[in-house]
Amino acid sequence: MEAWRKQHRLVLPVLLLFVPLLIGVVNSARAIPAFSRKYQTSCTTCHYAFPQLNAFGKAFRNNGYRYPGGDENFRKEEPVSLGSEAYKQVWPDAIWPSDIPGTSPLAVHAIGQYEMKFHQPDSVARSVFEFPGAVEILYAGTLGDKFSFFGEVAVETEGGAVETGFPFRLELNQRPGFNVVLGSFVVDPTPGHRSLIPTEFNVSMLESRNGWMLHEEKPGLELWGAGNGSGGRGGWKYQAGVMEGQGGDAGRDKDVFAQVTYKVGGLGELGGTEGQASQTSAFYRDNSVTVGGFVSSGRVGADLFADKEDLTVVAGTLDAWYERAILNATAMSMNSRIGGTPDRKSLAWYAQGQYVIYPWLIGLARYESTDEDTDDAVDPQTTLIPAVAGMVRANVKLTLQYVRPISDYDARKADEERVVAKLDFSL
Amino acid sequence: MRFPFSVTCAALLLAASSAATAGELKGMVKVIGMKHSADAVVYIEAIAGRTFPAPTAHVKMDQKNLVFLPHVLPVLQGTTVDFVNSDAVLHNVFSPDKCCEQFNLGSWPQGQSRSYAFKSRCAATLLCKVHPEMEGFVLVLPTPWFAVSDRTGAYSIKDLPDGAYTVKVWHPKIKKEVTQPVTVAGVTSADFALKK
Repeated sequence: MEAWRKQHRLVLPVLLLFVPLLIGVVNSARAIPAFSRKYQTSCTTCHYAFPQLNAFGKAFRNNGYRYPGGDENFRKEEPVSLGSEAYKQVWPDAIWPSDIPGTSPLAVHAIGQYEMKFHQPDSVARSVFEFPGAVEILYAGTLGDKFSFFGEVAVETEGGAVETGFPFRLELNQRPGFNVVLGSFVVDPTPGHRSLIPTEFNVSMLESRNGWMLHEEKPGLELWGAGNGSGGRGGWKYQAGVMEGQGGDAGRDKDVFAQVTYKVGGLGELGGTEGQASQTSAFYRDNSVTVGGFVSSGRVGADLFADKEDLTVVAGTLDAWYERAILNATAMSMNSRIGGTPDRKSLAWYAQGQYVIYPWLIGLARYESTDEDTDDAVDPQTTLIPAVAGMVRANVKLTLQYVRPISDYDARKADEERVVAKLDFSL
Repeated sequence: MRFPFSVTCAALLLAASSAATAGELKGMVKVIGMKHSADAVVYIEAIAGRTFPAPTAHVKMDQKNLVFLPHVLPVLQGTTVDFVNSDAVLHNVFSPDKCCEQFNLGSWPQGQSRSYAFKSRCAATLLCKVHPEMEGFVLVLPTPWFAVSDRTGAYSIKDLPDGAYTVKVWHPKIKKEVTQPVTVAGVTSADFALKK
């Protein structure tokens, strides 16, 4: 251990030095034990199984990281005042009063995994332990009654290289129907935005000809809002904004996006208890159906090294919850236009079923299809991913998945057929 | 001055009756190994030959700010408890204990309540399937004479007739109850110690 320390004693200072130079390579997480501490409540209050949010977690998020019905009643720690409430009467002759979290809003998320590929040449290792795979320092909370923040500093190992990122965003939570985000965020139409298992959704990872994909975290400005449906059940949500294109500020052009979802039944998008009486209840139940539409447009590669690629992405989503089961699906088309070449149309979709065997054990199966060019003669690539996610504790998750390419199996199995066991914990 | 025999008897009975209902058992419970001595239930064990009818009045237990209030609720066997949701978030009340049929009341809106009648003696743990950290207790007892200690450990059982009793002390975090014979005569003191 001592030898290891000596050998790696420069790693941390080097990382700290270079962190500011590297942006946006690690995607944000949602598991925030800082909120558990703030409200003295379990992770499962907000998470189906982290990072996937349950209905209340979405309502908490839609209230600007605040409890519905009076956040101050549920806080178990008092914030530190940055000015008396009465100073609101004095403004503009004083700074508008606010507050900051009373205790540290920090949390840690650690990830490690073991991967075994079935078909590798003898010269290549078939299996690899990645411990640590990633460590994320997360910080999130509220600033007074109108602002909230969410950020992280993340270090991730990827193919032997170390990548870092430190996205953050500040939100103005004017009212549930109107919020403004300034910072870095992922724009992603998939329900819940985050994969419960190690393999990300194929629609999020679909690459354009210049390497653009949804999954990247990008800086920008977003407007969003949400509201309950009739009788306090279900409801609507919109998101729209402008953000840097792929490659950060290297591109002159920005991406624009918009997404709308509508939920029928279940907990209101803003929470509440109206119309929610039931004989059964559990943190993972929310009998409801949510449909959504998404559109994004932008230009990629507007620099000296690549031809300009104009992109239009359109997606539709379905997210159905019934008792212990969830069925969700997303279909996304991408239209790529590069001058002097034929347009390329791509189509990716997936369907995923989840079932809560026990509250701590979730079975999952995902079928995905990716057709990079719908006009060529190549069949779509299809893959089946059965998996189980076990919550060893509310903040410790063990996931086991098997990735089985189906179409063009022999050609793809060498690279893609694998088993992955992933360990996550947060504190 | 002479009183008729019947009047004398009536006066003596009234005096005896008055003395019998004026008794009180009070004292301190020391819970060793805990930060404070709250939530210990001191109660009179079943008395041979005596039963007590189930109360008609319901007793309330609240769910407020993600906490069961009170944390420990002793009731006489047969009592119906109304579980109130005072929060703007959904709650649930269920018990994993067989002595109360492992009841599950589901969820209900803010300001409303659902009820359960505790028919059998039981130390029922109450949980919420929505908020796993929430925990409360209903202790179902054979007599109406009981009290819950405060943080200092002080307790007081009032209106306890004079007599010899078996007194027990229960605490949600201590498996073994303390049992002690106590003779009550008027205001009587008895202290108890429990060790975690």
